[in-house]
Amino acid sequence: MRKFVLLCCSFLIGLAAIAQNRTITGRVVDRDNNKVPNASVLVKGTNVGTSANADGQFSLSVAATAKTLVISAVGYTDRELNLTANTNYTIQIDPADKSLDEVVVVGYQSVKKRDLNGSISVIDNKEIAQKPISNFTQLLQGKSAGLQVIGQSGQPGQSGYMRIRGTGSINASSEPLIMVDGIAVTSTAFGLINPNDIENVSVLKDASAAAIYGARAGNGVIVVTTKRGKSGKPELRYSFQHGFVGLQPLNNVKLMDARQKLKYEYDAGVVNAIADSMIRNRITSGAFPAGSTLFNITAQQREDLWSLMESRGAGDWKKYYLQDGYTDQHEVALTGSSDKVRYYLSLNKFNEKGLMYMSRRDRTGGRFNIEYQAYEWLKTGVNLGVTHSTEYQNRELNNVQSPWRAYFTSNPYEPLYMPNGTYNLTFQGFSALEGQEKNTFFLDRIATFATLYAEAKPLKSLTLKTQLAMNYNTAKSESYLQPGSNLAAILGYSQKSDAGNQDFQYVATNTASWNKTINGEHNIDVLAGQEFTKRSFYSYQLAGNSMPSSTVTTIENAAQVQTATTSRSQFSIISYFGSVGYDWKKTYGVKLSARTDGSSRFGSNNRFSNFWAASAWWNIKKEAFMDKLSYISDLRLRSSVGTSGNVPNQFYGSLGTYALSSSYNQLPAAVPNQLANPDLTWEKNFNYDIGLEFGLFNNRITGTFDYYHRTTKDLLFPKNVSQATGFTSVLSNVGSVVNKGFEVSLSGDVIRKKDLNWNISFNYSQNDNKVTQLVSPDLPSTSNTRLTVGQELNTYFMVRWAGINPANGRNRYYRPDGSITETYSLNDQVMLEGKSPLAKFFGSINSNLRYKSFDLSLQFYYNGGNYIYNQMYRNAVGDGGNASSLAINQYTDALNYWTKPGDVVANPSITDASQKVNLASDKFLEKGDYITLRDVVIGYTLPSSITRKLGIAGFRFYVQGTNLWMGTKFRGTPEVGFPNRESGAATFSQPGQLTLYSYPTARTITVGLDIKF
Amino acid sequence: MKKFIFTIATIATLAGCKKSELDLGPFDQIETGKAFTTQADVTLAVNGMYSGLRGTYANSTWNIMADALADNLILSTSGRQTLTNFSEWRYNGNTSISFITSAYGVIRRANAILENIDKFPAGAFKDNAKAEALAVRAWQYFDIARYYAKTYVNATNTDSVAPYVTSTASDIMPSKEPVRQFYDKIAADLVAAEPLIAVNNGAGRINRAAVQGLLSRLYLYMGDYAKTIASANAALGTTPVLPALADVARVWRDETTNGVLFKVLNTTLDNINTPGVNYYQITSGNIRSEYVVEYNLRQAFTPTDVRSAAYITTSPYNGVQQNHVIKYAGRTGGILGVLDIKLLRTAEVLLNRAEAHLRSGNGTLALADLNLLRSQRYTDYQPLVGLTNDQILTEILRQRRLELAFEGDRFFDLKRLNLPINRDGTKGDRADGTGTTYLFLNMANTDHRFQLPYPSAETNFNTNFKQNPGY
Repeated sequence: MRKFVLLCCSFLIGLAAIAQNRTITGRVVDRDNNKVPNASVLVKGTNVGTSANADGQFSLSVAATAKTLVISAVGYTDRELNLTANTNYTIQIDPADKSLDEVVVVGYQSVKKRDLNGSISVIDNKEIAQKPISNFTQLLQGKSAGLQVIGQSGQPGQSGYMRIRGTGSINASSEPLIMVDGIAVTSTAFGLINPNDIENVSVLKDASAAAIYGARAGNGVIVVTTKRGKSGKPELRYSFQHGFVGLQPLNNVKLMDARQKLKYEYDAGVVNAIADSMIRNRITSGAFPAGSTLFNITAQQREDLWSLMESRGAGDWKKYYLQDGYTDQHEVALTGSSDKVRYYLSLNKFNEKGLMYMSRRDRTGGRFNIEYQAYEWLKTGVNLGVTHSTEYQNRELNNVQSPWRAYFTSNPYEPLYMPNGTYNLTFQGFSALEGQEKNTFFLDRIATFATLYAEAKPLKSLTLKTQLAMNYNTAKSESYLQPGSNLAAILGYSQKSDAGNQDFQYVATNTASWNKTINGEHNIDVLAGQEFTKRSFYSYQLAGNSMPSSTVTTIENAAQVQTATTSRSQFSIISYFGSVGYDWKKTYGVKLSARTDGSSRFGSNNRFSNFWAASAWWNIKKEAFMDKLSYISDLRLRSSVGTSGNVPNQFYGSLGTYALSSSYNQLPAAVPNQLANPDLTWEKNFNYDIGLEFGLFNNRITGTFDYYHRTTKDLLFPKNVSQATGFTSVLSNVGSVVNKGFEVSLSGDVIRKKDLNWNISFNYSQNDNKVTQLVSPDLPSTSNTRLTVGQELNTYFMVRWAGINPANGRNRYYRPDGSITETYSLNDQVMLEGKSPLAKFFGSINSNLRYKSFDLSLQFYYNGGNYIYNQMYRNAVGDGGNASSLAINQYTDALNYWTKPGDVVANPSITDASQKVNLASDKFLEKGDYITLRDVVIGYTLPSSITRKLGIAGFRFYVQGTNLWMGTKFRGTPEVGFPNRESGAATFSQPGQLTLYSYPTARTITVGLDIKF
Repeated sequence: MKKFIFTIATIATLAGCKKSELDLGPFDQIETGKAFTTQADVTLAVNGMYSGLRGTYANSTWNIMADALADNLILSTSGRQTLTNFSEWRYNGNTSISFITSAYGVIRRANAILENIDKFPAGAFKDNAKAEALAVRAWQYFDIARYYAKTYVNATNTDSVAPYVTSTASDIMPSKEPVRQFYDKIAADLVAAEPLIAVNNGAGRINRAAVQGLLSRLYLYMGDYAKTIASANAALGTTPVLPALADVARVWRDETTNGVLFKVLNTTLDNINTPGVNYYQITSGNIRSEYVVEYNLRQAFTPTDVRSAAYITTSPYNGVQQNHVIKYAGRTGGILGVLDIKLLRTAEVLLNRAEAHLRSGNGTLALADLNLLRSQRYTDYQPLVGLTNDQILTEILRQRRLELAFEGDRFFDLKRLNLPINRDGTKGDRADGTGTTYLFLNMANTDHRFQLPYPSAETNFNTNFKQNPGY
C-alpha cells in the first residue's frame, strides 16, 4: 500500500515539474547500509548517466522531466528509483538472487533459471541436503507442487513412489522418468545417490518440458544434475550428523494389555492354552479338583492365575521387536576451479541402525565431477559417482517371521523366554526375534554412474555435444536359513542362498544446438539430437541345502545343491528429437519440439512412435504498460500442449510364448507363458496446461498457479481373458484415464530485515482422476477394487457395513438397493464412488526464520482425499472372534463389543459363533487424510567475524527433528506405501491401498555440524 | 582443422544407428508358433503338462481340502488357523480355491498338444502323446466337476458346470455346460485315450491302467456300475496288486510304487513342501498341526490297522496330545512334506469295484473285494462273512473313508452319496476328544456350499460363466 501511495505521489509531482535540468545526488548502499562502490546510475530510457565513486556517492545532472533512475551494480539486482522533488537520495539495492542465474538442465538443454518458461519446478540442493534420510526420493516430498511422493515404507533406504500430476497408468509404471546426468535410472539406483552431491532437481511437469523425452515421459520427468565445481578457490567442507531413531507412534489405536486381553478371551469363551496348562498342573498337584477349567474355577482363582500370567508375560513387546536406532553421517567435499579445470569431489558415509530389531544399512559413496577446457572452443568432462550400500533386511511380510507383525500379534501375557532360556515361540509358533537373528538376509548393492562428454563450439552460435552416459548396478543378496534355527526345523532343511543381478545401461547422445540473437531482439534456438539406449540385465540364483554348521556361511559348504539358475533380458531404444524456440525480446516466446522413439518392447508394427509439443509464453512484466505497476516485479503467463508416452514394464509383452524354464521329473518342459497381443502399443498422453507466475514488491511475494489436463490413452493393463483359456489375462491397451487439477505455490517474506528474515511458503496440489473409457464396462483390478468408466482408478468395490444390530449384536450389511441384511454376500458389493487409494490433494507448508545467526525452519506435509483398506485394524479388532483372531493381540477398540440388547457398539457379540468371522467390508476402509510435521531444523551459524579469526570459512551447528507430530483420524499410520515389501510390492503397483505390516515410520532427532575451510 | 574434424565426427554419428538394434527377443522363451516344430518339442510339451499337474495337486491345498471341508479333520487351536474359510464353510467367490484356474492352465497345455499332434507321423509316439493329453485333460475336468458341481447322479438337467474347453483359442467367453454332458465328455476323452496310451509310460506319467482306474471312478460317480466293474477289472488285472501290509507305510514315503496307479512327481529338487505344510510344521521338535484327525475317525483306525500308524501319530504340542496326520511327512531323511502326490491307487479301484458289484446286487463279489483289501490292512485279519448287503455297503464306505482319509476324497464322497456333513459337536481337537470343538457342525446335503464357488474374477468378467447358485 505504501508503495502504491508513493507511486501516485511521484506521478503527481512529475506532472508539476517544470522543464529544466536539476542535479541529483545520492549514495548507493546495500541492505545493511554498507556502501556499494562503483554502481552505475542512468536516467531510464536515456544514455544520461554516471558512476558512483568508491564510497557509493554520485552526482548527476538530469532533465527536469526525468522521472526514473536505474541503478545497477555487479552482484546486485537493478533498482529503479522514482524521482521526487528531493534531490538527495540514499538508494538501497538488494543483492542479486544468484539462483536465477544458475543453470538447470531441462530437455537436453541448459537454461538459466530466470529464462525457464514452462511448468518446471527446480528443487535446489539446499532443500534436500543434510537430512537424516538415506533415500533421495523421499526427500523430494513436498518440495514441488504437483509432485507427490509416498514413502513405500519406513525401512532405511527404501525408495518412495513418485507421481507427477496424478496417476496415469495402472499396470505400466506410473513413476516419472528419472534422468541423472543424461541417463534414465530406476528409482532404486536413484535412491543410492548421495543427496548432498546433487546440484538441483528439475521436475518437468508440463507437456512442453517433458515431450522431448518422448516415449517414456508420460508420467513426467525428473532431471537430476550432480554438482559441478564452484568457480573460485577451493572450498573444503566437512559435515557430520548423528541421529536418534525411534518409532513414530501409531495414531488412535492402542494394543490391549495383559489383563484386557485375558478378560476379552474369557468373555469370548476361548480356552487360553497357558491358563489351561496351569490349571492342568494344579489338577495334577491336587490344588484344583479334577475337571477344573478356566470357566468353572472361582473368580478369585481366575484372578490369581491371570496375575501370575501377567507377571510372567513380556508386557509391551515393542521393546523387543524394536531397537534404539541411529543414523551417522560423515561427508567431506572439495570444490573449486582454476582457469581450465572445474572440479567437485566428495566422499560420504551414511550408517543407519534402523528401528526394527537387527535392521541396519550402511552406505558409502564418492563422486568426482571434473570439467576441462581443452581449447577455447572445446571442453570435456566426466561425472563419476559410485555408491555401495549394504543392509540387513528384516523379514517384512504378513507372516509370523515379520517382527513388525509379531509386535501386533504377540500377547502381552506371553513370556519372552522359555524356562530353558530360548525364545518363547508364542501362540504364533515362531519367534520373530530368533528368526531375525538366525535367518539373516543381507543385501549389497553397488551403483555406478558415469557420464562422459565433450562439447564443442565450432562457431559462436553452434554447440555440438556428444555424450556417453552409463549406469551399472549390481545387487547381491545372501540369505541364510541357519542350521538349528526354528525355521530350518520347520522346513526340514537348512539352506544358504545367494542371488544377484547385474544391470548395465548405456545411453549415447549427440546433440547440435544453434543459438542466435538477431538485431538484439529476435532470439532463436534450434536443437537436433539422436540417442541410443540399451539396457541388459543378468541375474542368478544359487542355493545349497544341508549346511553343516552355523559358523560357515557359503554355499560350498552345503551338502547338496538345490538351485542354480541364471536369466537374462534386455531392451533398446532408438530416438531422434529436435526443437525450435523463438522469442522476441524475451517478451513473447514459442517453442516447438518433437521426438521419434523406437522401442524393442513392441512388435515391428508398433515399434516407432512420434511425440510433439508446442508452448507459448508471455513475459507481461516486460511490457511498457507494466512500468507503472512497479510493485509487480514479475508476471508471466505460459501454456503448453503436447504428447508423450509410456512403455510396458514387460520387455516382450506383445509376444505369445512358451517358457522353457520349468521341468518335470528333472526333465525339461515347455509351458505356455503368455498370450500374444500383436496390437500392443504405447500408452499415449495428451496434455495441456496453463500457468501464471508472479512476483510482487521486488519479489517479496512470489507465486505460481497452474492448471493442467492430462489424458492417457491406451492404458496398459492385463486385461482379463476367460480363465477357461488357461490364462487369466493378456497385456492389452484397455482404456483412457484423465487427470486434471491445479497447483498453487505461494511464498512470502513476512519479515525482511537486516537481522530478521521470515519466509512462509505454501504449496497445494489438487488432482481429479477419472477413467473415461474402457474396453469393458468395468474391470476388476484387485480383489476389492475396480476400474469403471466415470470413476477414479481402482475405486473400491466392497460390501458396505451397516453397523451392529443393537437388538442381537450381529453385523449388518447394505444390499445394493440400500436395504439392510444380516447375511453377508459378495453380491452386495458395490462401487464406493469417490473412494479410491488416490490422494485428491496434497502439499506442504514451510516456514523459514532467520534471526542473526540463528535459523529455524519447519516443514508440514499434508495429504488427503484417499482411502486405505486397513487390514491391520481388521486383524486387531477381530470381531471377538474365531481362534485366529484370538491367538493374536487386539486393539482396545475390540473391547467395544455387543453384550446386551440395546447396545450401540462398533463390534458384534463375541459369543455368537455366526459373528466370529470378521468379514471384509468397508468397515475397515478409512480416510487417509493427515498432516505431519515432517521436518524441524534449528541451526546456528557462526558469524563471519568469528570464523575469520578461527581461520575457517564457515561453521554451522543444527538440531533437526523428523516426524515429530502428526494429525490424523486414521487408525495406525496413514502414510501407506505398499502393504509390505515381500508380499505386496509387486502386486500392488498402486500405493496406499492396504495396510499389512510394512516397516514402520521412524521419528528421528538429529544433531549435525558443517565446517567449511 | 580440429574443430572441423570434431564437427564432422559428431554429425556422422548423428546420422543414426541401425533399426535392427531393436530386434531383441527373450532368452528363456520361444514364440508359441514355434513350440511344436519337432517331435522333441512334443516331449517338452508333455512334460510341461505334467509339471502343471504338479501345480494343481502338489503345490496346492488338494491333499487336505476335501478332508478339511468335511468331517475327517478338525481345526487345531494351536495351529496357524489356515484354511478356516473352508473348514468353517465361509468361502465365497473372492475367497474360493483357485483349483479351476490352475486346472484350466493344464487343460490348455493338453489342448495345445492335441491341436498340434496331427503334424507328426503316425505311430506309437504320436498315439501315446495324444492319449496322455486326453487323459490329463479328463483328469482335470473330473476334479473340476467334483469341486464345483453336483454329481452326475444328483444333477438335474438344469445343473451346470464349467465349460469343457478343447481348444487354445484365447478370445473365447464360454458358457457353462450341463453336468451330465460334461461327464459324458470326460468319459469320451478317457475312452479315446485308453487304447492309444502306452501300458507303461514310466514314473509319474499316466499309463493305460491309470486311465482304466480313473474310468472306474468316473463310472461310479455316474452310477454306471457295469462299466465301473469293467474298467476296474481292466485296471486291476487278474490279480490286483495291493501293497502288502508292510508296504502300506512305505507308499507314503515313496519307497514303493506298489498299488499306485498314478502319482504326480515332486522331486527333492522341486522341493514343494506344500503337501506337508498343509497339515503341519515342526516347531521345536514338535508337530504343530493346522488340522488334526477328528476324534471319531481316529477311533475307527483300530490298533491292528496298519493304516493307523502309517497315517496318524499322537504327540504333544504345547503339552497337549493331538492326533496328527503324517501321511505327508515326506521321504525318509528327506525334507518334511516333499513327496509325490498319489492321485489314483489300486485300493480305491478295488473299492470302486466292490461298491459297483454291491449296487449291481452282487454281494458276494463285493465282499470278496472288501476282504481282499482288508487282508492287506489288518494284522489280525479275519474275513468278514455272512454280512447283509447293507452291512457290506456300510463297510465298503467305511473302508473307503479310512483308506482314502487325508487324500482328498471325503467331501466328494459325501457329495457323491448325497449325504450331509454332520460333525460331532462334542469332540474337540485333542487326542482324548476334549479341547476346542467345531465352530460349525452341519451342512445339509442340499446346501449350496457343497458346490464350491467359482472365482469371482471369472464370473464377473465372463458373464456367460455364471456363479454357482447361493453365492
